[in-house]
Amino acid sequence: MKTNLTAGMSRRTFIATSAGSAALLACPSILRAQNATIKVGMPTILSGRVAILGETASIGAKLAVDALNAAGGINGRQIELVIRDTKGKPDEAARITRELITTEGCQIILDGESSGGAFAVHEVVRDAETYCVHAISETSSLTADPANRAHWIFRAGRQGIHDAISGGLYASELAKTGATRWATCSPDYAYGRDTTAEFMEFLTMFAPEVQTVGETWPKLFQPDYTENITNIMNFAPDAVYTCIWGGDLVAFFDQASLYGLFDQFQTVAVNLGDLPVLAAIKNLPAGIHSGNRYHPDVPDTEANETWGENFEKGGKLPTNWGWQAYTGANFVIEALKATAGEVDRDKLAEATKGRTIDSPQGVDGTVTMRADDNTLIGYAIGYGKTISEEPYLTDFRPTPWDVIQEHEAEWKKRKNYA
Amino acid sequence: MLDLTALATCFTSSSCLVMQTSTGVIIGMLLFLVASGVTLIFGVLHVVNFAHGAFYMIGAYTAYTAYGATGSYFAAVIVGTLTAALVGVLFERLAISRVYKENLLMQVLVCYAFVLICDDLVKIIWGSEYLAMGIPDEFRVPPLRLVGGVVPVFYVFLIATAALVAILSLVLIRYTRFGKIVQAAARNATMVSVLGIRVPIYFAALFGLGCGLAGMAGALAAPVRSMTPGMGLSVLIDSFIVTVIGGMGSIPGALLAALILGLTRSFGSIGFPLFVDGAMFMMMVAILVFRPQGLLGEKAVR
Amino acid sequence: MNMSSPLLRVFALAAAVMAVLLVIAALNPSVWLLDTMTGLFASALLVMSLHLLIGYTGLVSFGHAAYFAAGGYIFGMVLQMPAFIAAMGSWSVPAATLFAMAGSGLFAFFVGLICARLSEIYFAFLTLAFQMLFVSIIQGLVAYTGGDQGLTGGIPRPEFLGLNLAQASDRYVFAAILFVLGVLAIRLVTLSSFGATLRCIRDNERRTAFLGVNTYKAKVLVFTLAGSIAALGGVILAVFTSAAYPEWASWSVSGEAIFMIMLGGLNSFYGPLIGVVVMRAINDVTLLYTTHTELTKGLAILFVVLVLRRGILDWIMDRHKNRTRSKTAASPARKEQTDVAP
Repeated sequence: MKTNLTAGMSRRTFIATSAGSAALLACPSILRAQNATIKVGMPTILSGRVAILGETASIGAKLAVDALNAAGGINGRQIELVIRDTKGKPDEAARITRELITTEGCQIILDGESSGGAFAVHEVVRDAETYCVHAISETSSLTADPANRAHWIFRAGRQGIHDAISGGLYASELAKTGATRWATCSPDYAYGRDTTAEFMEFLTMFAPEVQTVGETWPKLFQPDYTENITNIMNFAPDAVYTCIWGGDLVAFFDQASLYGLFDQFQTVAVNLGDLPVLAAIKNLPAGIHSGNRYHPDVPDTEANETWGENFEKGGKLPTNWGWQAYTGANFVIEALKATAGEVDRDKLAEATKGRTIDSPQGVDGTVTMRADDNTLIGYAIGYGKTISEEPYLTDFRPTPWDVIQEHEAEWKKRKNYA
Repeated sequence: MLDLTALATCFTSSSCLVMQTSTGVIIGMLLFLVASGVTLIFGVLHVVNFAHGAFYMIGAYTAYTAYGATGSYFAAVIVGTLTAALVGVLFERLAISRVYKENLLMQVLVCYAFVLICDDLVKIIWGSEYLAMGIPDEFRVPPLRLVGGVVPVFYVFLIATAALVAILSLVLIRYTRFGKIVQAAARNATMVSVLGIRVPIYFAALFGLGCGLAGMAGALAAPVRSMTPGMGLSVLIDSFIVTVIGGMGSIPGALLAALILGLTRSFGSIGFPLFVDGAMFMMMVAILVFRPQGLLGEKAVR
Repeated sequence: MNMSSPLLRVFALAAAVMAVLLVIAALNPSVWLLDTMTGLFASALLVMSLHLLIGYTGLVSFGHAAYFAAGGYIFGMVLQMPAFIAAMGSWSVPAATLFAMAGSGLFAFFVGLICARLSEIYFAFLTLAFQMLFVSIIQGLVAYTGGDQGLTGGIPRPEFLGLNLAQASDRYVFAAILFVLGVLAIRLVTLSSFGATLRCIRDNERRTAFLGVNTYKAKVLVFTLAGSIAALGGVILAVFTSAAYPEWASWSVSGEAIFMIMLGGLNSFYGPLIGVVVMRAINDVTLLYTTHTELTKGLAILFVVLVLRRGILDWIMDRHKNRTRSKTAASPARKEQTDVAP
């Protein structure tokens, strides 16, 4: 670079001019950044058999984001949800998440993928060191296993282990009234096997007189449950546990009622409490024990009812996936409010860790992101019984969170997760 | 994994034996009902209807809507069958007939495309939620207890219907003029058309019949199965396994294969629960290797 | 037969393509481009190896994705064994790739031994049955393969030859190398006398057998080769996602591969490559406007099959031929031959 100063331009002027032009060149991007939308990438399942997952998760996330944008956004900046279909394929999920980060410029990921896909997304956001909130996956090891942890990744949904403890406690009451022979009928894949194993582990812990008299494992999306149903009848249990979900649960119920299964023994169907399932099963048998996935009466508050009604305006009945996505989006929003819109991974993580936010699905109106393992606690959880007409679920007994956390801590020690 | 003692125990207990056999028969007859359409079409037209699952789905969904509108299960079944048959005829005329002469690939692709389109259309029209028809009042009765086994009345009805379908389709193909014409036309369309017979109409009719059977299966099973877009896939695979093992084109073969598979599932769920699917695929492999024409099929021209 | 000229041309083309691909990496483009091309390379290897079976031998395989997935799984499982990395050190990744090719080839060999006796529809169904059996086994052996979740925990990728596979650009280079080598191998097969044998088998197997050719042996050999090369595609995907999933062996992957071949054109060597790119374009463009990707894909397939009645490259070449023919007002139309590459 020539430093010939004789042509009339002093050194100071030159530096000033270059600095000025550099600032001028940079300026548009600063301006852009300040008025630009904050992009939040959301990979989720919008096609295939489980399309309802992504559709309701999208409605939930949009509910939170639209409300915020209508109220003025974050210091005037709007949040833009970039929702992409992963088709339920884990490698597609990985690819799409990467694209959301690199091409779309999303510095925040709200993960709407379920178990297998969520792990794929997890690897990508860990690799790319991008702030992420998993909203759908219920697999406990995602946050419980220290090998999976990263301080910028959170889970804003229920955890399988919480449901197992809650279910085990509830079922142990049934055991006290004589239901000591248990059989299980759950889908043969990771979620089905892990959830069933965890439930039975806690049930036998709280009620040692319980014995497992048989297990049957239908395949996911299997249309015909006849052999599983007759297997259960052969086992002649006092009670049956199943974590079949969604459309499969509807089919299972219809087929089982042909055999009069539900007259013969108690049934604990964890995933029955989801509103679309309850609505789809015509002639719902009464007295089935079910967990709450999403229910407008759990918790029985005005806020929850209103939330459900607002959700339905989005075109679908609210589901578990819906409220979880809504909660995840809210954590993102609250973190952004705390950092005044600065999309810095560590600052956002700091603002999310340990945070308590308002939630219509929280036991006391709030839910908290537990600080030591970045997962959600405080949401309404418990079991109830079905009745044949609306609201389909009654006699709901919530499980206290101190009890859950106590057993969860012991479980973690047992699995060397602490 | 392999629980031979449980299996042996079951064989020695008469109530278990009856129970599992009746279960096997139920599963088998349902499988046959669903697979009959594929077998019929292949047996006569030598076309593999890869879109079979889509017609099953169409039958189920239209039956669901009809049931909601009329409250009558039987009306719903008729609507489901006819809709599937009609769509089948249209599909045949517009797409399949153009690839009769082409190789297998074209047929596969046309069907694959049709399945994609149907799945999305169903999602657009009926939504992606799971729908269920619910068991009609006529069948809301306690199950029958026969010789120690439990058999729901609804399944008895389905089994009877499946048996009727088997007999009627066999009679249709072998003994009626229609059946003879279609079989002849499939072997030599030119000669048959020279006789003054409008061959395309017969082909379309037969294809429509096969699709109608698929739709009827979907409608009949609707009370106990849930409906989602894309539900056709699982029945497609089952149908192919039945057809291949039984003999591509043989209705008695399909019936036999379906029963064998049903019993395998039923007893297998006690003896080798994790390997039932594997066992079914291995049977398919074994048949294709040692007896490609299937159990009761005609010897294939290699 | 004077083979040196086409052979030289092919090697020159391969070298040129490799150079272009490397230059693209050197130009430091967006990560999106690198990642997209890496994905396309994987699909291309699956599709071209299947093309060897369908287009050149007349073997319609419905279950080709099994070897693709097997490649990814073997690669991942081998690298997840600490003993392997300890033994191979910085040659771990190439060694694992070779292992994947060999393992998948062996799998294809055994399946080929069984399947090659059968004709068309039965062959197709049997390959499909083996694919489903493969998926069943993968999902069953949860302890080794991770079951339906796929191979979890990430795949260690030690650096080799200066390539750090955690970087998008180095991944791209690795994938590009595998792609060029794989397609080159296939091209050499089609240009060789073995390739001529395959085409004879495709056109009339019985007559070929009468000539004294052991058609069974040829079919098994090509099936094994196709399986090994498909494995390379699986290796690329495994590196890309740092995992392996049973979905890679699903019938829809096989079905889409068949479609890409048809879309691009059965009758030319490079047609299917066009099919891969166009298919991806259809997917991405549709996503911009609607979530109804299946509907669009279905309509696109129907259009190609019913209206065009052949693949895009074939259609282009036919138009070109018709134009030249009408210009020279030459002899009546003849059936296309696929002897030499365009």
